[in-house]
Amino acid sequence: MTGQSASEIADEAAAWVARLDAGDWSSEDEARLDQWLAADPRRRGALLHAQACWVALDRPAAPGRAAVPRRGLIMAAGGALAASVAGGFLWLARGTTYRTELGEIRRVPLADGSTATINSDTRLEVILASRRREVRIASGEAWFRVAKDPARPFVVEAGQVVVQAVGTAFSVRRRDGGADIVVTEGVVQVWAAQADGYRTSLVAGQSAFFGDNAAVRISDASPSAVDRALAWRSGAIDLSGQTVAHAVDDFNRYNRRKLVLADPRLAGEQIDGIFRTDDPEGFAKALHDSFGVALDTSDADAIRIGHAKNISDVEGSSSPTSLHQHGKATRP
Amino acid sequence: MASETGGGTIDAARRRRTAVWVAREILPHEHRVRAWLRRSGTTADDADELIQEAYCRLAMLEDVDHIDSPYAYFFSIVRNLLVRRLKRQRIVPLETIAEIDAYHDDRPSPEQLAAGRLAYGKALDLIALLPERCRRIVQLRKIEGWSQRQIAEHLGTTEKAVEKQVWLGVRFLRQAWSRAEQDADDLMSGIEQRGGRG
Repeated sequence: MTGQSASEIADEAAAWVARLDAGDWSSEDEARLDQWLAADPRRRGALLHAQACWVALDRPAAPGRAAVPRRGLIMAAGGALAASVAGGFLWLARGTTYRTELGEIRRVPLADGSTATINSDTRLEVILASRRREVRIASGEAWFRVAKDPARPFVVEAGQVVVQAVGTAFSVRRRDGGADIVVTEGVVQVWAAQADGYRTSLVAGQSAFFGDNAAVRISDASPSAVDRALAWRSGAIDLSGQTVAHAVDDFNRYNRRKLVLADPRLAGEQIDGIFRTDDPEGFAKALHDSFGVALDTSDADAIRIGHAKNISDVEGSSSPTSLHQHGKATRP
Repeated sequence: MASETGGGTIDAARRRRTAVWVAREILPHEHRVRAWLRRSGTTADDADELIQEAYCRLAMLEDVDHIDSPYAYFFSIVRNLLVRRLKRQRIVPLETIAEIDAYHDDRPSPEQLAAGRLAYGKALDLIALLPERCRRIVQLRKIEGWSQRQIAEHLGTTEKAVEKQVWLGVRFLRQAWSRAEQDADDLMSGIEQRGGRG
């Protein structure tokens, strides 16, 4: 290790980044850089830090042209949360009931230090008792970051499905006939209310569908897939190879104006991109750009995709040959 | 773009991948870790060292894809480095080490993390703070996408002089990020605090 201070190293690292950026980088440069790095282990960190500062100025690579600009996303997250302030919650005798409107996403701090991030069109009740913290999801979905309190287990009930955590983070979505659970941190135990004896543990990175009849389907998702599945927390729909049909269902969870897939050939196409949950128009436009399909936006309650009738509404409607030409849509 | 050759190519590509990830996930939250270090009584110089060492740990990683909460990951590295340092110092009373975890770190909420991922917008704001000549060159390089050589020709100066301004720019930006105030986060937090109580 050299006797240099952290800031001296940082300055040298900045000079390397400027050198790397110059465009006439040679193998001698690379050798000199290797030497510099080898002389002091701290230099590796300084180089990474300086390089990160420099690449932060690069426009982020959009995952396909279908993505909204990242600046748009922050607005979306802000918008969704701002909208949430308008939503009310009712006090019931036993606990607090939270209700979100269609398209509303709300983050609620609970009195025990936990937080609940509540997705669109959800109703849940929170009861913080001295021995047990209880959440009942009547409909919809929420993600919980649970404050550690071994004396008071945190229990979420979604119909017949019960999920218990001590200090961890996970989401529960109530569905017909069961619930989806995604664990982002720690471990949770899941069981069906009628079969309390049989518990299943899920660890961070796992997601599962639990049937009311105790049928279990567990999948080990990659961390990024878990993040994508929970992108709604920041008001986003993050698609990575999902089918158009799946994406359409997702958008329709958040919006009154429904997407209607009039061209069934599109349903199985895969698509990448990050969209705002409240921007089905943007998604439809992306499909139009990617697949050259017509859009019918004449109806205030629906956007018809792949309907050729109103082709004059579509600016510069593409010929079929333009399909996939931008490479942002992938085939299965 | 630098043209990399030989065995260095893989290394350079990995370095770049990690740097992009750091720019997106860590840089926007670095000031939180620094604030936590300040509260736990760490001097600014020591904080510089600890943060540099933590970046060093990240630089050692083959791959960052498995890290699902980058901020928490980075924070725990810094925390462990601090504990190790305090233990080495011996004269520090044991309680100090026990107290470390009592200092609240303002862990970003999912919304703030999403905002952090929009570091690009913040980065553009930081460019505006650069000294004029430096700012001009950084803008031409990063926003217009000109090469250092093109910039040198355009400004009638040498490539070395342009490289030097890039160097100043990187230095300046590094300092600006570590000082970064919370503005990006504040967009959200005002709203969150108005959420209900359970």
